[in-house]
Amino acid sequence: MLLESLEVHNFRNLSGKVSWGAGLNIIYGDNGQGKTNWLEAIYLLATTKSFRTQRLQEAIRFNEDLAVVRGLVAQSQEVQREMQVNLQGSTKSILINGKKESVARYLGQLHAVAFTADELDVVRGTPEARRKFMDRGVVSLHHAYVQTLADYNRVIKQKNRLLQDASELEMSLEQAFEVIAPWNEQLIKLSTEIHRARVDYVERLNDVLERRLFERENITIRYVSSLEGKGDLSDYEALIAERLRLRLQAEIAAGYSLIGPHRDDLEILFDGREMRAFGSSGQQRSALIILDLAAISVYYLWHNEYPLFLIDDVDAELDRKRISYLLEYLEGRTQTFITTSKESLVEQFVARASVFQVSDGRVVSDASKEQLISSATGSAESI
Amino acid sequence: MLDYAEPVTKLIDEFKRLPGVGHKTAQRLAFHILRVPEADVERFVEALREVKRKIIFCSVCNNLTDVDPCRYCASPSRDRSMICVVEEPYNLVAVEKTRSYKGLYHVLHGSLSPIRGIGPDDLHLANLLPRLKPENNDGVEVQEVILATNPNTEGEATANYISRLLKPLGARVTRIAMGMPVGSDLEYVDEVTMDKALANRHEM
Repeated sequence: MLLESLEVHNFRNLSGKVSWGAGLNIIYGDNGQGKTNWLEAIYLLATTKSFRTQRLQEAIRFNEDLAVVRGLVAQSQEVQREMQVNLQGSTKSILINGKKESVARYLGQLHAVAFTADELDVVRGTPEARRKFMDRGVVSLHHAYVQTLADYNRVIKQKNRLLQDASELEMSLEQAFEVIAPWNEQLIKLSTEIHRARVDYVERLNDVLERRLFERENITIRYVSSLEGKGDLSDYEALIAERLRLRLQAEIAAGYSLIGPHRDDLEILFDGREMRAFGSSGQQRSALIILDLAAISVYYLWHNEYPLFLIDDVDAELDRKRISYLLEYLEGRTQTFITTSKESLVEQFVARASVFQVSDGRVVSDASKEQLISSATGSAESI
Repeated sequence: MLDYAEPVTKLIDEFKRLPGVGHKTAQRLAFHILRVPEADVERFVEALREVKRKIIFCSVCNNLTDVDPCRYCASPSRDRSMICVVEEPYNLVAVEKTRSYKGLYHVLHGSLSPIRGIGPDDLHLANLLPRLKPENNDGVEVQEVILATNPNTEGEATANYISRLLKPLGARVTRIAMGMPVGSDLEYVDEVTMDKALANRHEM
């Protein structure tokens, strides 16, 4: 898949149309001009979501009614589709070739992996960020998994209410069991599906993990079920059924669900030590890049095509040596979009990139390699 | 100050109470009422009155009806050994449209949803268990109870709850299958449905 061009109206401070390069695209400009907004627009086009905010109406330009993000996507040499996301008030509509489409059909046309400051939560934040990372990955392979997650969260919400009621109304254990059992029954099935999907996904990641891309330290990952040490995980369905039975009283006392994959985690170790607690911020960034690259490879092995890779403020997140390694690795693989405010970085990579200068939300110049090589004399050859 | 004269505002407010009706629609409906002949309005009012006056719950199956027991429960041609449990009267109509089900029904008028405060006691469930006794069913023993609640988490929980109640009584309890809509091309089936259909595939 290839994003050939992108046209944006009233999305944040952006306007105008840009034709992207097939390989590395460098979005360059001073701070506050809208570089990240362009990445966000690409991410929105691919996923219908923002990597910055849950409330998309914030992204409509002030005093405007309708924001439009429209892109031309080449699915193959012959097949091109125009994808479009409209934001109007709190409603979002999505279109393919000018016709409204369901989300299920829209997703999967274009896929994007984003490396942003917020995503660093995956390596240094709470387990929730890591569960989301895994779930995003599973969804990129099986869209139907979205429903499994939605059902799971719904059942947990319903059960939590019953657990609260049970302690407030001082129900007997038998009474509580009677009303909670129908929900636990579904939890067993849904938990098993989620457990299996995540374990499978982490195995796939492990198979392609470039453990030593940047460092001498060895990075390993492992799915950590909250039921670990409680019994035979290979028969997860029987194990969780037993745990739910045994722990009902504790769950009532707590007033919320204690058992299930919403308590699981992804362990990220470097040389056997926990990244979250012991990694330097440079190591954490490297680890996240390595995880993102693994997610990209897993996607490629499954779909036989690469997703887009978006890297926000590449300079702030990685040092030059790592950026070089990374961009070299990506060459010939993904269509990559990076933002930077450093002119020296542009000069360093201009020979193999399309460069777009952003000012006040607009792309004011796009330079093809030939043009820039002649203007950035010498530096292109010195790589 | 009110935008419209009091009687008009009152009417708009009443329309706004209806499900799915927002301010603009309510306004349009109110002005429609103002334009139509009085006889039409009378007919409408009478229809509203009549439905409230005449429609009751069937004392056997809880379906909406104007005679008790309802036409299904009273019909001698229905198979009294089967009961199909549905959430809402319009779900009953959907099953009935198949013309292949000839048994009886039981309407719950809802599904379990703790977050909306709906527990087993809020469903019309109390009169289901007694129906399984032959003496309450024209001497016929119920062989099978089909749980046709909706295929979402609330419907699943409701079906599960009922099956736990019924199993000890010895009746066969079944759940309707989920999967492909018939008569459509595979390509028009959404992925979640397709996924379920694949998981529930059967030997040929």
